[in-house]
Amino acid sequence: MKKRLDLPLLTTLGALSFFVFVPMLSAFEYSIRTPLEGGYGLTHYKWAVDNEDFFHYILRSGWLSALTVLITLIILVPTVTWLHLSDSKLRPLIDALSLLPLVIPVVAFAVGAQISFPEFVQNTVLELPFLYFVLALPYAYRALDIGLNSIPLKTITEAARSTGASWVRTIISVIIPVIRGAVMATVALTFALSIGEYTLTVLLHWDTFPTWVTYVAQENILGAIAISMMSLVIPFVLLTSITLLTPDRSAQRRK
Amino acid sequence: MTSKDLTLTNVSRRFGTVTALDNFNLHVGVGELVALLGPSGCGKTTALRIIAGLESLDSGKVAVGEKDISKVPAHKRNMGMVFQAYSLFPNLTVEENVAFGLQMRKVAKHSRLKRSQELLELVGLPSHAKRFTHQLSGGQQQRVALARALAFSPEILLLDEPLSALDAQVRVNLREEIRRLQISLGTTTVFVTHDQEEAMSISDRVGVMSNGVLEQIDTPDVLYNEPATAFVANFVGVMNRIPANLADGKVNIFGKNLVASKKGSETGKIVALLRPETILVKKSENQGNAKVLTRSFLGASSAIICQTHEGTIVQSLMASLNTGEFQPGTSVDLEVTVNEVMVANG
Repeated sequence: MKKRLDLPLLTTLGALSFFVFVPMLSAFEYSIRTPLEGGYGLTHYKWAVDNEDFFHYILRSGWLSALTVLITLIILVPTVTWLHLSDSKLRPLIDALSLLPLVIPVVAFAVGAQISFPEFVQNTVLELPFLYFVLALPYAYRALDIGLNSIPLKTITEAARSTGASWVRTIISVIIPVIRGAVMATVALTFALSIGEYTLTVLLHWDTFPTWVTYVAQENILGAIAISMMSLVIPFVLLTSITLLTPDRSAQRRK
Repeated sequence: MTSKDLTLTNVSRRFGTVTALDNFNLHVGVGELVALLGPSGCGKTTALRIIAGLESLDSGKVAVGEKDISKVPAHKRNMGMVFQAYSLFPNLTVEENVAFGLQMRKVAKHSRLKRSQELLELVGLPSHAKRFTHQLSGGQQQRVALARALAFSPEILLLDEPLSALDAQVRVNLREEIRRLQISLGTTTVFVTHDQEEAMSISDRVGVMSNGVLEQIDTPDVLYNEPATAFVANFVGVMNRIPANLADGKVNIFGKNLVASKKGSETGKIVALLRPETILVKKSENQGNAKVLTRSFLGASSAIICQTHEGTIVQSLMASLNTGEFQPGTSVDLEVTVNEVMVANG
């Protein structure tokens, strides 16, 4: 029997293709043009990879983002778990506070950081992961909040505790694996936001991959587009492999 | 055997203005199963959570054997606990769930999986080791939870209404199984429930709680036949409350003078507390002293609910034989078969 076409699904896919895939494919098509020789080729990709700064900056952004993810998980997972378990009256307040990074202009945030942070903090690039953490907070907090809301957290935590797990073991061995989906979403959102962050980084006078790309674009726009295409692929491959390497062991749940 | 005895001494716990436990004392002997029974909000679950270390106490002492564990965190108490429901770890297989406590105690993998298999055999699920918990029924999940709580040979086993989410038939089977396992392993056990049948059927002793206080703790037989307080008398089993007058230590019920056993300073207008099995229903040729409202056939016995001419509802429990004639509306004579009656203030 012929299956009915799903109109809303088609509309969504259509809109997604039009606004995301079409521009991306166009950019890709543009990046493989070879204006001098005519036709297509990977000249600009080769130029980008041959540029020694390419790996320097992509690695730098990579580890800064990885560190941001780590900071986010270490701070947020226990905090949000505690908020859920303690039934704290502070929870609505913290819910609201977690949204603040969305409404504070990044410029104000950057200027504030420059005025208030001591010099030894401003002298190290390690200030960036902590600031990225704040920028990613609204998304990361909500992802974890939804994850913890969807499980019988109190019982599972108490079962783990009474079976002999310390708080740290309870979080690492029980809570994180059980809300795996939410943790993966937190990792993905935080990583993507950090690796693409431009405004704050530039305002604090640091160079990372996105700032380097805009610098490169001034001398070779096609090369910059080629670099951007690659920078899209790298986090995508990374996040997909993380997801595949940590399979959901009880995925058969859906009936 | 690793089991030890458990002692709670003068334990108090308040939540804001509510007193959950008030100078609560309890001793559970080695290998004994004690049920804490009471209406919701009586403090039984708080008591269990304090024993487990999941709740702090305001004052008093919890001791396992000779050791005061009042300040010991939950994960170092070496107690197994089974919760009401949904406490298994969904990311682990059945055998990994059972082995979890051993993993936390750094037992080698092959030993803990072997122990896990032993426990699964004990609870009748040896072929379910590799399954995930969502592939099990509610009863099977609670069996796994029980296996998990017992796998590391805890000093005390705590059961927090483990049967209340299950179907009637599964409940009865599983409670028998819990008792069988508890006896064979000799594990000191505290069992919290609001279901008196459950508590009475498998416990060595039952503690009846009300408003944070242990009203009485005794064997099920003593609790039923010799309740220490009117609360216990009313809470445990079915109890008829028949208004009467107390004079010279005697009460007249259905024309029979009974010796009143007082628990307090009752006098004058009181209610007599009589179990249904102490009341006999006889067919009356004339008006009688009551009329039958309903008769419920329960198998070997039948419950006959009557209303006296004064309006009091009285329940009788009799052997089903010859109770078929008690149709609704039948005039009957009620008689009391005992000579002594417990009385309470009306």
